[in-house]
Amino acid sequence: MDEKLLLRTDELSKTYWNGPEKTVALDNVSLQVRKGELLAVYGPSGSGKTTLLFLLGGFDKPTAGKVLLDGIEISNMDEHRLSRIRRTTVGFVFQNYNLVEELTVLENVKLTMMFEGKPEEEMKERTSELLDKVGLVGRERHRPSQLSAGEQQRVAIARALANRPRLVLMDEPTGNLDQDNSRALVQLVTSIIRGEGVTFVIATHNLEIVQGTPSRLFLNAGRVATEFISQS
Amino acid sequence: MTSFGLLRFTAKGLARRRVRTVLTIVGLAALILTYVTVQSLVSTLEVNLSGSVSSLGGEIDVWSKGASYPLISKIPESYAAVVKAVPGISFATPVTLALLTVDSAEALTAGVVPAQLHFLLNYSMIAGTMITSNQTGVLAIGKALSTTIGKGAGDPVQLNGAMYRISGVYLTNSWMDYSAIIPHIVAQQMIGMVNGTSMIVATARDSRNVNNLIGQIRTLMPTVEAFRTSETPSKVSPIFASLESIASDITAIVTLGAVLGIMNSNLNNLRERMRAFAIFKATGASYNQIIKLVLYESLLLGTLGTLVGLGISYVALQFISIPIVQNVSVGVILVPSTFLYAALLAFSVSVVASIYPALRIARVRPQEVFRFG
Repeated sequence: MDEKLLLRTDELSKTYWNGPEKTVALDNVSLQVRKGELLAVYGPSGSGKTTLLFLLGGFDKPTAGKVLLDGIEISNMDEHRLSRIRRTTVGFVFQNYNLVEELTVLENVKLTMMFEGKPEEEMKERTSELLDKVGLVGRERHRPSQLSAGEQQRVAIARALANRPRLVLMDEPTGNLDQDNSRALVQLVTSIIRGEGVTFVIATHNLEIVQGTPSRLFLNAGRVATEFISQS
Repeated sequence: MTSFGLLRFTAKGLARRRVRTVLTIVGLAALILTYVTVQSLVSTLEVNLSGSVSSLGGEIDVWSKGASYPLISKIPESYAAVVKAVPGISFATPVTLALLTVDSAEALTAGVVPAQLHFLLNYSMIAGTMITSNQTGVLAIGKALSTTIGKGAGDPVQLNGAMYRISGVYLTNSWMDYSAIIPHIVAQQMIGMVNGTSMIVATARDSRNVNNLIGQIRTLMPTVEAFRTSETPSKVSPIFASLESIASDITAIVTLGAVLGIMNSNLNNLRERMRAFAIFKATGASYNQIIKLVLYESLLLGTLGTLVGLGISYVALQFISIPIVQNVSVGVILVPSTFLYAALLAFSVSVVASIYPALRIARVRPQEVFRFG
């Protein structure tokens, strides 16, 4: 097994049934992502990007195929082990950020660490570090509704990074952002990859992001249409 | 995540959702208030009634079978000797009860054997003396009755139209304070119960033997009903007999209502917070942690509701008194066990009402909530 490989899928498929109606969201998708790599999964709406991310994050079970994270199959794990993976190994930045509205920025970022049972001091230290990294120092006590879309997304990124995951999955990160914020986001992700050595998989239909990433996967109707994997 | 961390997180959440928190606490407090009030009123009535009759009644009361009230009971006076002859019985005396008119007031009048009166009644004389012989035309009255008719020791008084003299005024701190005492033999003549009596009051030599003695009395005299004096409230009236079950029914209905109400409130509340719980799961909260979050929230609410409810109940019951007969009211007796049971009830309601919602919310699938809301 390639030691540099962090994530691998083998002929991953996901089919949804709505009564007799069958929808193939993902069809035989195989991919490999190396440690510290940034992979952009792009494609039109409904191409299966979000489904793929949910499978990679262990939120959903594939109909066929498997997902291996660091050589361990997570697609057949029970809920208890998956929740631990979500706490410690995989961070997720959702399309709508999914911040808890009644919690402050600080509490949202601490959430994952709290579920992991980290000591208060360690949580405080890591939260400060992350808020500094994403440029939100001074906004700790604000609620998500008091932040702009770009700021909310940075809170979501800080939360995803809180437990120092090895893989961060981002779903349509620029969907609600203007061009300037999109560029800032790409820079932020790049600096995080450099600084924290985290592997990113970003699902997007923003070509600007795609062109700036070394590895790309184009999905169309649930299938891999083209693939470009950086050799660097 | 440590339990303390979870509790702190939950407490903060409750502080943020003030309206819902306050409403739930008020609901639980109302449940406790209802439970404590109903149970305390029943206890008070029972303790007072039991106390008044037991002050007449030693440990065993004997009535005619089928009588639901001693006023309508009639048994031969000679049965007192039969009861006394039962091995293990230390004392047995006839008591005749009647509702008679004392001046303008209607009062319970007890006909007792004067020589045995001190075995029957725990009293103190506040004026004059107690009746001491079978003399006609003399009676003793309770303090409350004395106040009602405005007469005291030495005053003349009409008993069912006949002129009597009040020998003294006694105090028992029970219903007996609104009664009159006359000699047993006089009572028999007055109410036409010659050689008869309303009831026989007996005492056992060994109180551990009471049940056995009751059995023997029932066997010896199949036409009578013998029972413990402490069972008197349920024997005195069919209403009393069912009072406890009515209180239990009220408690059960209120409890069921509270469980369903709080469960419904929890379900609605959690449904509104479905997204937040989905985010918790998505960020790594386990099934057990979600269940703990919901249960801890209920426990905190239960604790607060219980404390508030117990406090309100304690204060409210200080101001309530029960009018038992004309001009006589007794304060509500606060029984510590009632408060303990109320606390347990509120806790149980709070926890039971959160189990189903907790199990439901813990099964939430984040990907479905995020996609379909």
